[in-house]
Amino acid sequence: MAAPGMVHWVRIWSSCLKNVQRQGSGRVVCASRVSYSSSSDTGEGGFPKMQFADEKVQDILTQITGLDLQKVFRPVKEELKPPAYKLMTDAQLQEANSRAVEEARRRLKMTPVLPERKPIQDILAHDKVLAGMETAKYVFTDITFETPHRQRFVVVREPDGCLRKASWEERDRMIQVYFPKHGRKITPPPIFQEANLKNVYRQDQHEALLDLCLAQFEPDSAEYKKVHRLTYEDIEKQGKYNLLRSTRHFGGMAWHLVMSRNVDGLLVDMLQRDLVHDAVSLVSLFNLVHPQSESAEEARKLNAKGLDLLKVYAKEESQRAGYIELALQAHQRTF
Amino acid sequence: MVHLSSALLKRYHGGFVVIRLALGGCTNRPFYRIVAAFNKRARDSKYIEQLGTYDPLPNKYNEKLVSLNYGRIKYWIGCGAHTTKPVAKLLGLSGFFPLHPMTVTEAERKRKRAELMKAQPDGDRAEEEEQDKKEQEA
Repeated sequence: MAAPGMVHWVRIWSSCLKNVQRQGSGRVVCASRVSYSSSSDTGEGGFPKMQFADEKVQDILTQITGLDLQKVFRPVKEELKPPAYKLMTDAQLQEANSRAVEEARRRLKMTPVLPERKPIQDILAHDKVLAGMETAKYVFTDITFETPHRQRFVVVREPDGCLRKASWEERDRMIQVYFPKHGRKITPPPIFQEANLKNVYRQDQHEALLDLCLAQFEPDSAEYKKVHRLTYEDIEKQGKYNLLRSTRHFGGMAWHLVMSRNVDGLLVDMLQRDLVHDAVSLVSLFNLVHPQSESAEEARKLNAKGLDLLKVYAKEESQRAGYIELALQAHQRTF
Repeated sequence: MVHLSSALLKRYHGGFVVIRLALGGCTNRPFYRIVAAFNKRARDSKYIEQLGTYDPLPNKYNEKLVSLNYGRIKYWIGCGAHTTKPVAKLLGLSGFFPLHPMTVTEAERKRKRAELMKAQPDGDRAEEEEQDKKEQEA
């Protein structure tokens, strides 16, 4: 029977989708990620320590990322096809619009922010009898298809007879050799060297660089974090926040700025573009993440909401207080 | 469970499945596939299943890459497959099998030879100098 069969197929597929994580290049990969939960759930002063993956944090970050359909679906360099014209009723147009919004939301799924991975230093055996037999190391990779990559055995036999687990870089390289991922190269391309990064920033290609970084490196590797940190710092120095607005990297950038307490530039940029609601949510995120800061304590004392939050933040914490107050006054005058 | 087709082959009595290296690659560039095949088959001909690869030439990081599908190797050994000496040595080096005794023996022999070479440097150097003089005169 077609109908029950189709329903059954959809149910299997949707349960499959729950375990699937969509990678940056859009290729569907089955991977069970080891969950990284912090060892201590309560930070200073009995307040719960906010992680990137918390619901409240994610809500605020999705909200300030925005949803500019024109930017998400801007023309990407593809094979030339003649444009397709469709004749639709109003209802069909609305439906197509809502489907576009869904698709945009899926494309704006935030990139992961994970704690940096600790180096692997396990030695499985030390057979001194084998010392001096070989001049090269042997790298043994387990190519069983069903094991997730994080649990795969990659083991190195050194020329001095030591059998050890492979380091993270060796693991990534071996897994790319035997299970190649689209868009990832075995040796990282030279664009990620610091001298070349400066050229990329000069050409305002931050988003493309971050997409490339997501495809090339694992999210908890040191290189991934370094490239992201340098990119965010450059954006903050130049004030080019709009480059990442309505892309999947905005949440990560906002989180990085909040963690390093450099929110002033972004706030000012939001106020200049009349995104007062976003500015308010950014300040509330700051207070969530740093509950011991002066602005958070003042806000709790006065039970501030909306524009008052901004005023409290401007007074207590920011270095560009004058700018924020000016922008607030200008906003209040227009409304 | 024994692989039944060997029992059904009429002209292939007493044969067995073997896990061995099948040579591929090009001239001066060997490359081995670790393969489960019937033992009477030619070395590079039709095999039952590929279980991994072995690249004997080291790459730019000075590594020799070996891939092993441990799950399937376990299955074939459970079916009664034999392993050849090089495969047994590789599996011993990887820690899946205990170390092959010939690996240990060869390591010891190499060490002894290296010590002998070090212990007679004067004799060797004198021979080399004589050869160089003869080539210069000629």
